[in-house]
Amino acid sequence: MHHLVKARWALAAFTALFLIFLYGPFVVMGILSFQQGPEGGPQFPIIEWSTYWYEHVVGIAPASRIAPLPVGEALIRSLTLAFATMIVSTILGTMTAQAFRTKFKGSGFVFYLVVLGMMVPGVLLGLGMSLVAHQFGIDRNWWSTAFVLHVVYTFPFAFLVMLAIFNRFDSSVEEASLALGVSPRRTFQKVTFPIIFPGILSAMLFAFTLSYDEFPRTLFTGGSEVTMPLAIYGTFSVEIHPNLFAFGVLTTLFSFALLSVYAILMGLSARRLSVRSTGIQEDAA
Amino acid sequence: MTLNSNDRNADQRSYFERFSHYYLLVPGVTWMALFLIVPLLMMVYVSFWTQTTFAIHSELTTKSWVTFFSSETYFGALLRTIRIWLTVLFFTFLLGYPVALYIGLFVRSKTIQTVLLVACVIPFWTSFLIRVLAWRPMLGKEGAVNLVLQKLGIISQPIEVLLFTELAVVIGMVQIYVVFMVGPIAFMLSRIDGSLLEAARDIGAKPFTTFRKIIFPLSLPGVTVGAIFVSVMVLGEFATASALSGRKVNMLGNIIVTQVGSLKWAFAAVIGVVLTIVIAIIITALLRLVNLREEL
Amino acid sequence: MLELVDFGKSYDGVNAIQNVSFNVNEDEYLTLLGPSGSGKTVLLRLIAGLDRPDTGRIILNGQDITTMPTHLRGIGFVQQKYALFPHMSVRQNISFGLINHHSSPIRDEKKVNYLCDEMLDIVGLSGLADRGVGQISGGQKQRVSLARTLVTKPKLCLLDEPLGALDANLRERMTVELRDIRTTLGVSFIHVTGNEDEALGMGDRMIVLDKGCVIQIEEPNKLFAMPASVKVARHVNSYNILSGSTENNSFVFADYKLPMAAYAKSAAFYVVGIDKVTIEKVGSVKRKAKDITSFEAKFVDAEFMGSRVVYQFELADGQIFEVERHLSRETPVDYKAGEVRCLSWKAADVLAFASDGGLINENAKIRGTV
Repeated sequence: MHHLVKARWALAAFTALFLIFLYGPFVVMGILSFQQGPEGGPQFPIIEWSTYWYEHVVGIAPASRIAPLPVGEALIRSLTLAFATMIVSTILGTMTAQAFRTKFKGSGFVFYLVVLGMMVPGVLLGLGMSLVAHQFGIDRNWWSTAFVLHVVYTFPFAFLVMLAIFNRFDSSVEEASLALGVSPRRTFQKVTFPIIFPGILSAMLFAFTLSYDEFPRTLFTGGSEVTMPLAIYGTFSVEIHPNLFAFGVLTTLFSFALLSVYAILMGLSARRLSVRSTGIQEDAA
Repeated sequence: MTLNSNDRNADQRSYFERFSHYYLLVPGVTWMALFLIVPLLMMVYVSFWTQTTFAIHSELTTKSWVTFFSSETYFGALLRTIRIWLTVLFFTFLLGYPVALYIGLFVRSKTIQTVLLVACVIPFWTSFLIRVLAWRPMLGKEGAVNLVLQKLGIISQPIEVLLFTELAVVIGMVQIYVVFMVGPIAFMLSRIDGSLLEAARDIGAKPFTTFRKIIFPLSLPGVTVGAIFVSVMVLGEFATASALSGRKVNMLGNIIVTQVGSLKWAFAAVIGVVLTIVIAIIITALLRLVNLREEL
Repeated sequence: MLELVDFGKSYDGVNAIQNVSFNVNEDEYLTLLGPSGSGKTVLLRLIAGLDRPDTGRIILNGQDITTMPTHLRGIGFVQQKYALFPHMSVRQNISFGLINHHSSPIRDEKKVNYLCDEMLDIVGLSGLADRGVGQISGGQKQRVSLARTLVTKPKLCLLDEPLGALDANLRERMTVELRDIRTTLGVSFIHVTGNEDEALGMGDRMIVLDKGCVIQIEEPNKLFAMPASVKVARHVNSYNILSGSTENNSFVFADYKLPMAAYAKSAAFYVVGIDKVTIEKVGSVKRKAKDITSFEAKFVDAEFMGSRVVYQFELADGQIFEVERHLSRETPVDYKAGEVRCLSWKAADVLAFASDGGLINENAKIRGTV
């Protein structure tokens, strides 16, 4: 498309500006997280560079009038919730996607029922669930009412990932296993599962990160013990301090660590498969 | 290895096998029915209950509904929600389309394409609320934007309408949700066969004509999918609005939160149902343009 | 040992298999010939239990297994595309069925390894046990797939075009090996193929499948010598089939008039094996000779097939008439395109079929119908 050189450059420049727009707030946040403390506010200019707010987040800064973020407990709750959600969503997603491998009546209905879980805004579902809890006198807790909604939200994502994985899955290896006298359950354990494992990892990653960051549903149904996003939301009403920015930088780093673990696991399983399936391919048909 | 005892009865087993996909569906469907459908129906039901100051009774009435439509605050919130939704949708498209066009059509190297798309997704690895808060030091009176503009000599006085206004809410939402527009459009554009564009050029079509007649129509399913994503998320929003407007701009979501906070369950339910209806209408209209199950 | 009764299966209202009945004997090599789309693979999947038939029963050693799930049947199935487990080595692939069997798994590692080594030896893969299945060639994959099935000692083994994806050399070697392996182990084979040479050469008996129906079951040599119907003759792909009508002991088609035996008054098809024809110079055949039939045809092309040559001639109506000559009997001759030659064969080699496709034999009994 050499005749479109101008358009190409214009679009490239636009994309560059777009990325600045996308990343600008993070850069500013990153800079301000090194603001002097505890007097320095969440704005320019930087009074003096310091790591005070990082110390504040992890709780080793000297006490001051600024309340520390409830990092410890809230973080553990968030991680526990995300982990449990990940396990349940991935199991449900895999089972449902497995069922979709055979055509059945009402598949369209089930598909939309599941996908609805990710389409309904969190505020509506949170409201509905808290109404149900209120009516039936159920206590609202992060590990009960909030947990079931987290699964409602992340299960569709896991389902769609697994659906895509099964679309590319060659079922003849399962049939081979059955014909060898291996039961369907064992066939799943020993043949299907190892082959779809990379897909399951992706589904787990999706479910974990979505649940970890989930907040409207938790707000209505999480009860009094807050998760990490709720702790941050709590600071919205009061004056904000750069400790939130430091925390933001730390959580971003944590996310990247998680992503790296995932990438390494994927790389390992891909390499294990490729050692087995590439190599000499003389007269493969 | 432990389940072999089941294998004895062949006929029973084959019956199980033949309907095994229904057994596989039971947990997922049950979960969704109990924790998705029941709460939504409950919401509709409660919206007709009688609201007193601190309690609700199950006597059916349309009083809450009448209050909603006759109240300036509530009905105004509905109009504001729709206005913000349309504005955000328009700007995500305006900003997102050229970027998607560049990534999907102009960058032909798969690697660079992936790098650019990953660059767009990376912000999602930061907590949503932190991403919202990050706009505060950007837009404030002494914020980065004002600082830079003043340094460049474009303005002499800081712009004060940047933060704690509807504009701030729109800017924040556009930045947070624009990627959901870029992704699907770029995906559709990258599927366009290059030879199609060359053929168009060979028959003498001007670049703009090619864009209007070929590229844009082919990217339309992506635009629709992107619009569905953005719409669902913006319409259900309340955190961005409350964080960047200083609780001055109230969308329907914000009202639900405050109503629940003051135990006005029936009012909250009414607003929930209104919001559901608005979203359902918009999604149905958009789905008429594209079959989601096929595009996914 | 295995008996199929009136099997039928349709997909979306289209019949893939109808009214299929046959039985497989102990220690038998049964081949099943059919072109693609004739329902071969469907039939194997039904026998293996991977699909359920719409009609009919399947009986294995006296037990009705129609609704029995695959893993309880004890029928081995070697798939066309090998379907090896990609995440396992050759040894793991072969031992998989032993270790994970639903009712009698072998837990003794030594025994598993012993059986594995024995099977690797039988299929000739001894040195490759620890290779990944991606690191071996197509022919080796085929043998791993076979070994994996045979090591579980099935009563019956189904082979879906086992030689289909192999090149010619390998194919020939595997032909011999398959027969040997089967004899060694005494297991019954149902070998499905679209290649008539394979079906004829390897089976103790063969079945010809046409559009989902069995049209003949017979020992290969008998079937080859005397196809029950025109369709079978077509599938065997070694016959010239001329269609016309019989008048006064003559078979008439196009411009030709060929003598026809008296018993075949109603013949609609005149069929002669391509290997029964001799090619001679025009005029050199004694036309008067009673037991020799001949006509003249234009040479078109010749095809060398290793040990034999197939010459193609064009008849007056444009139909192609093939002649196969074995190189062991004569050296190939270069004919010029368009050259006219005299083709002749013995009247006794002619098969006559009625208009319904059935064979008319000398005793005027029709042996098979469509």
